Amino acid sequence: MVQSMPIVYMNNAATSWPKPPEVLAAVAESLSLPVFGSGRTTGTQGEDYVTQARERLSAFLEADPSDNIVFTHNATDSLNILIQGFLAGKQNACHVLTTALDHNSVLRPLHEYKHQGRIRLSIIPFEGGVVRPDAVEAAIEPDTRLMVMTHGSNVLGSVQDIRRIGKILQDHGIHFIVDGAQTAGHIPIALRDLPVDAFVFTGHKGLLGIPGTGGFYVRDPEAISPVRFGGTGTDSFSLLHPRGMPERFEIGTHNYPGLAALAAGVKFVAQRGVEAIAEKAGRQTSYLIRELKKEPNITVFNDRPDLPIVAFNIRNVQNDDVGFMLARAYGIIARTGLHCAPLLHRAIDGGEGCVRLSLSWCTTDEECQITANAIREIARNADYSVHST
Amino acid sequence: MKEFLLDTPVTKEFFTYLGNFGQIEALANVGEGFYKFEKPEWFSIKGFVGDTTLEVRFKKEVMDLTVDFVYLLFSSYREGAVDLSALRGREQAIGERIRKHLYGT
Repeated sequence: MVQSMPIVYMNNAATSWPKPPEVLAAVAESLSLPVFGSGRTTGTQGEDYVTQARERLSAFLEADPSDNIVFTHNATDSLNILIQGFLAGKQNACHVLTTALDHNSVLRPLHEYKHQGRIRLSIIPFEGGVVRPDAVEAAIEPDTRLMVMTHGSNVLGSVQDIRRIGKILQDHGIHFIVDGAQTAGHIPIALRDLPVDAFVFTGHKGLLGIPGTGGFYVRDPEAISPVRFGGTGTDSFSLLHPRGMPERFEIGTHNYPGLAALAAGVKFVAQRGVEAIAEKAGRQTSYLIRELKKEPNITVFNDRPDLPIVAFNIRNVQNDDVGFMLARAYGIIARTGLHCAPLLHRAIDGGEGCVRLSLSWCTTDEECQITANAIREIARNADYSVHST
Repeated sequence: MKEFLLDTPVTKEFFTYLGNFGQIEALANVGEGFYKFEKPEWFSIKGFVGDTTLEVRFKKEVMDLTVDFVYLLFSSYREGAVDLSALRGREQAIGERIRKHLYGT
């Protein structure tokens, strides 16, 4: 049934697709010559994709110096390095804050440390998709040392006021790690001006790179202990891992094709302009929400998202079944279930999960129209007849 | 979750036949008809009439016991000689093994 249909891809919050031709060309080009990596080859041919990606991201995120941009496997990897590295320097158990909006990439590492008795953890609830700064302030305890939170919800598409929250945390001397997996490439971000200590990004969503790339910006590398050690291609006589940046946190051979793709993706996004990308996405997202709300049996969980994400359910139809029908009967790829955000779903739909549509720069108006029509058609016919033995 | 590729498109009658062994839910007006078969504690099957693939989700704990029954359901229907009483006998025997496995009774 679906084989003959074109793919309508609405799962960009998981990983963006399609990739711009420039990104695919960069991957092919990066593999067409031996890799160039300082300290790791005598060859002089090829591009230094690692430095190129680092400098482009530094400029794009307004994050200085560029050596404080660190590359990892993905956002979850980055969060693990930062959380583990921050806690490694603490002798006694301390109090940590996070939010009910957060993804398991934050919740699981923190709950592991809580389970080990290394931290006490408070989870701040949200209202209308946002965590209120005064709720953060109220949750601070004398020994609160760290807050880790999402910048933009991967289900509700709501961007959090990290400027105000960061200021409050700064005033209390609390380290602030922000998970920007859903925001980088979708909204303007100027880390130079934001009171955050570390900002995590992923390469394959809004930045339009390929999976297997991510990283973080860290303002004060000394605040985070390195937790991985090994070859860096530098200072090889030393049997202790170098502490300079970015080697402090980067080990082993880089993902050269991935970083070539990331550099190309960032260039693509920067050339179009994040504001223009956000404007188009906002228009398309509003259209989808408006259309879905025309059906009385569709519940939209986010009326005015800041990111191109629509979360909804059709009454009396399991979200998983809606996803199945969209894929098989209409060729529309969405995502269903809990989206790795169990506390958020407990709050909005009792933990049942929902259907999520997520757009990218490459999403067309026609695809939005096809998607809205398909969902409305399913909703209009959503009256199960039941037969059983 | 397993995807089963069939050599002929699924029919409404196939789901009606499955209904002998569990609950069928249908949204008949979506596509050519969306059907979902649920056999609690065993597996669920969903698909569209006219499609050549079906999605089967097994309950992991008892999948070793139930997977053969799925093949049996498919092959019996395909061969066109459905012997409901034989299938029910097989279902009952597997059901006892499942109960023993899950609840020890």
